[in-house]
Amino acid sequence: MKFAIALFAPPHSPAARRALRFAEASLQAGHQIVRLFFYQDGVHSASANVVCPQDELDVAAAWTRFIQEKQLDGVVCIAAGLRRGVLDAAEASRYGRPAANLAAGWELSGLGQLHEAAQQADRLVCFGGN
Amino acid sequence: MATLHVLSHSPFGDGRFASCLRLLGEGDALLLCGDAVYALQPASTPYASLERLGASTPVYALAEDHAARGGGAPGAGVTLVDYAAFVELCCRYERVNSWL
Amino acid sequence: MARSMLIISRQAPWSGPAAREALDIALAGGAFELPLGLLFLDDGVFQLAGAQVPAAIEQKDVTANLQALPMFGVEALYACARSLAERGLDPTALSLPVELLGDDELRALINRYDQVITI
Repeated sequence: MKFAIALFAPPHSPAARRALRFAEASLQAGHQIVRLFFYQDGVHSASANVVCPQDELDVAAAWTRFIQEKQLDGVVCIAAGLRRGVLDAAEASRYGRPAANLAAGWELSGLGQLHEAAQQADRLVCFGGN
Repeated sequence: MATLHVLSHSPFGDGRFASCLRLLGEGDALLLCGDAVYALQPASTPYASLERLGASTPVYALAEDHAARGGGAPGAGVTLVDYAAFVELCCRYERVNSWL
Repeated sequence: MARSMLIISRQAPWSGPAAREALDIALAGGAFELPLGLLFLDDGVFQLAGAQVPAAIEQKDVTANLQALPMFGVEALYACARSLAERGLDPTALSLPVELLGDDELRALINRYDQVITI
């Protein structure tokens, strides 16, 4: 089965870890992830500037490792990202900001990518909340 | 044409729990995760609401969230699931409605 | 055939960007001519209230974006009758023409769509 997975909650929320474990389990069961889409506060998981205490699970880093290792399509909503300070080099330059913080492996793009993923997938599964 | 409804907020905090229960249709199921597993607290108001759903509405709860909160054996009719079963539920139902 | 999506918007308009971001999902899908529905539920029905003055709290008018929905091809607009009644909102004085649905109709509505996002 083809899954589109969308995350709406920040990396410090339990929902971000739950979405990650769900994504891992779906691949282990032999399913396909057509895209991971990060919206609302979910965009913070794609920030390379999250610094987690050493004795805590770094969910943002785990997400980045996951999409790199599995070569998944990790898309951050550009409008939601800009609003929350998650920028790639092009956007940082466009808006005159001092730094880009989008972690390697992620892409900023529009909400059309969420719809495209929902069209391609058998199931859209969204994560948020506590 | 059944839906898996997923709740992850505490049933005591806002209107999600009540609204979700009202919108459960024929053949739908409920998956509790995160703070929503507090709905399994015995003798609580939300648990009484779950009991009133009856056997036609399966209730699942993410086992790790239940364990983390010190939940013991869940009440009758509640099935604890791991992530593999969560994935399987998403395949079994035609759509997944997460109450974000 | 394109897969349909129901967006259930249940956040009040001025509680943060959630209401606008739910609306943006609908507008983006409408731009791609996808079969979409938008349901206002719980506090989401406050988005439909008339006489709002968002400028008083330095916010953009979300009502203008709501009016754009039909232009973007999002014409399946619904509101939960119970949510309106609970909040004392007059269904005849809403800023957008929506179809009012009771609980039974809401259950049927959700099952008519391939996918659902509840924000």
